[in-house]
Amino acid sequence: MTSPANPTRATIRRTLGLRLSVWYAAVFIIGIVALAGLTYTLLASSLAQRDHDIIYATLREYATRYELGGLPALQRSVELEERTGDQERLYVRLLGRGAEVVLTRSPQGWGGFAQEDLGDAQSGNADDAHDGRAVLEVASARLYDGTILQVGKTNEIRLALLRKFQWIVGLVSIVALIVGVTGGLILTRSTLQPIYDLIHVVQGIIRTGRTDTRVPDRSARGDAVDELSALFNTMLDRINRLIGAMGESLDNVSHDLRTPIARLRGRAESALQHGTPDEQKEALESCLEESERILAMLDTLMDISEAETGVVQLQREPVGLRALLEEVVELYEDVADVKRIVVTLEPGEEVIVSGARDRLRQVFANLLDNAIKYTPERGSVTLNTSADDRTAVVTVADTGVGIGAEHLPRIWERLYRADASRSSRGLGLGLSLVKAYVQAHGGTVEAVSEPGRGSLFTVRLPILTPM
Amino acid sequence: MRVLLVEDDQTIAEFVEKGLREAGFAVEVAADGRAGLEQALTGGHDAAIVDVMLPHLDGLSLIDALRAKGVRTPVLILSARRSVDDRVRGLQAGGDDYLTKPFDFAELLARVQALIRRATGTPEPTRLAFADLSLDLLTRKVQRGSRAIDLRPREFALLEYLMRNAGRVVSKTSILSHVWGYNFDPNTNVVDVLVSRLRDRIDKPFPAKLLHTVRGVGYVLRTPS
Repeated sequence: MTSPANPTRATIRRTLGLRLSVWYAAVFIIGIVALAGLTYTLLASSLAQRDHDIIYATLREYATRYELGGLPALQRSVELEERTGDQERLYVRLLGRGAEVVLTRSPQGWGGFAQEDLGDAQSGNADDAHDGRAVLEVASARLYDGTILQVGKTNEIRLALLRKFQWIVGLVSIVALIVGVTGGLILTRSTLQPIYDLIHVVQGIIRTGRTDTRVPDRSARGDAVDELSALFNTMLDRINRLIGAMGESLDNVSHDLRTPIARLRGRAESALQHGTPDEQKEALESCLEESERILAMLDTLMDISEAETGVVQLQREPVGLRALLEEVVELYEDVADVKRIVVTLEPGEEVIVSGARDRLRQVFANLLDNAIKYTPERGSVTLNTSADDRTAVVTVADTGVGIGAEHLPRIWERLYRADASRSSRGLGLGLSLVKAYVQAHGGTVEAVSEPGRGSLFTVRLPILTPM
Repeated sequence: MRVLLVEDDQTIAEFVEKGLREAGFAVEVAADGRAGLEQALTGGHDAAIVDVMLPHLDGLSLIDALRAKGVRTPVLILSARRSVDDRVRGLQAGGDDYLTKPFDFAELLARVQALIRRATGTPEPTRLAFADLSLDLLTRKVQRGSRAIDLRPREFALLEYLMRNAGRVVSKTSILSHVWGYNFDPNTNVVDVLVSRLRDRIDKPFPAKLLHTVRGVGYVLRTPS
């Protein structure tokens, strides 16, 4: 079942990873190349500028010497320069009025320039002679007596320098390419790893149906992808808890229903085997009663489970507790009247809580039902409401038989009844329901009791704060 | 009055069919959703009772299809699901009322009658009578024979509910929901107490008892046989 889906996913995974690393490498390399290109251009133009400056400075100097001391002064100056100058050798030529060459000085090894290229350069502008790749850059000036002075400089050294630079840039680019690609791969891998982990875990869950695997935790870095993993784990925890709670409550419900169903069966079987029509009628009636009980029990158990597990969201609305209590007191008016029990709702201010009206009504109906049930004739039941900033408190106090200290901690358990003989009516679920509902509302319920004197139940619910 | 019942559980179908016939209805029964839809589309039913869980076509889709074809027959939805969401969904699908299984027949009948009344605009009766007992819904006066009986509001509401369902057994659950409007389990003796009070008023002073307890089921107004 996994084979059709997997290749597609793997492909997506590969293409995403590749795309990210290619992008990374491309941006990296383009950056390096642009930087190198810019540096090269700046370097080349500043070197050219320097050569140009040297040529013109020298031309001006020699022209001055010639004007001051004539040809010999120029010659001396050139020879001095050749002997002591630390600068590269320059090409110098002096042309007479008839364009005849009066003086030529060229450093060794570069006679190769076509000197006729230079012409007689009447203008005094620069002319360049070429020798293969190298260029002789020449500037000329017409002197006062009509002779022409030319100073030139080859760019061989400059070219060599730039060639070296090109070579370095090439080398750096190759290194950048390698670094870019591997860096891209590593970066992509480490970025996508949590997502791969997530995919892996989800695939595992789909394949095996087990929800107890978790995405490896890397929340220390705390970026968005890690947050996603953490959230996914939280979601899985929640699902797990819910499944667990549902399974547990299903177990409980089926267990709790076995006894009454067994009773029902027993009753029906024995009536079938022996019995007069009257007895059979009686048995049928008990079967009906028993089935009513089972149904009531099933409903209540499911209500409790739903409230405990939070499977069903409460339909909350603002509920006035006193109005609700008045309704409940009215419901039990007749019942209390029959036993001559006085039920009093003590005066107080209305308290608004946020809750599910039906559920809260059931809470207080159950508490009042209990109170009246366990209070002997002519007793009294007193309800009271109070509130502080955060909590609404409802108390139900009776003058009943009370609950023994040994039973008190267990009254909230399902199907627990202090009255072992089960002589009084009831399922033994009322208080479990109360507790489950109150807790689902974020509240608490507790009981104190003095056997023979009465019990006091206290419900605390978070109050609805005005917006 | 013709009623269409779409229900795949044979026992429940028979039980409802029998009850409806006894109450004077002509009943057609369909055992699955598709057959139910076909029959419903032929029209002419005053009401339909549709189970949610059906073979071939579920009840809510059936109602959807019915409404899409413009058939306005009022529908009572039957369901074993009890959560509020399901109720809402059922009513949104175009169901007119909703009843959760298990239900007692009197409740079902009362709802079907109410649906038909609502659909046909039949006015509510203003006076109910059973044996020598009569109840005026407008003046809220109750009389047995020639003697006027004073009832408190809850007692009046209970008697009204029993008289509307005279001859049929009504359960404690439906009493609790009709008299108090509470939809929770009668894990309480509130109903028993109210019934015994009512009995004191309408039966105690008279030789012929009308209000009877049916063990395990509920209460019924019935003339002594």
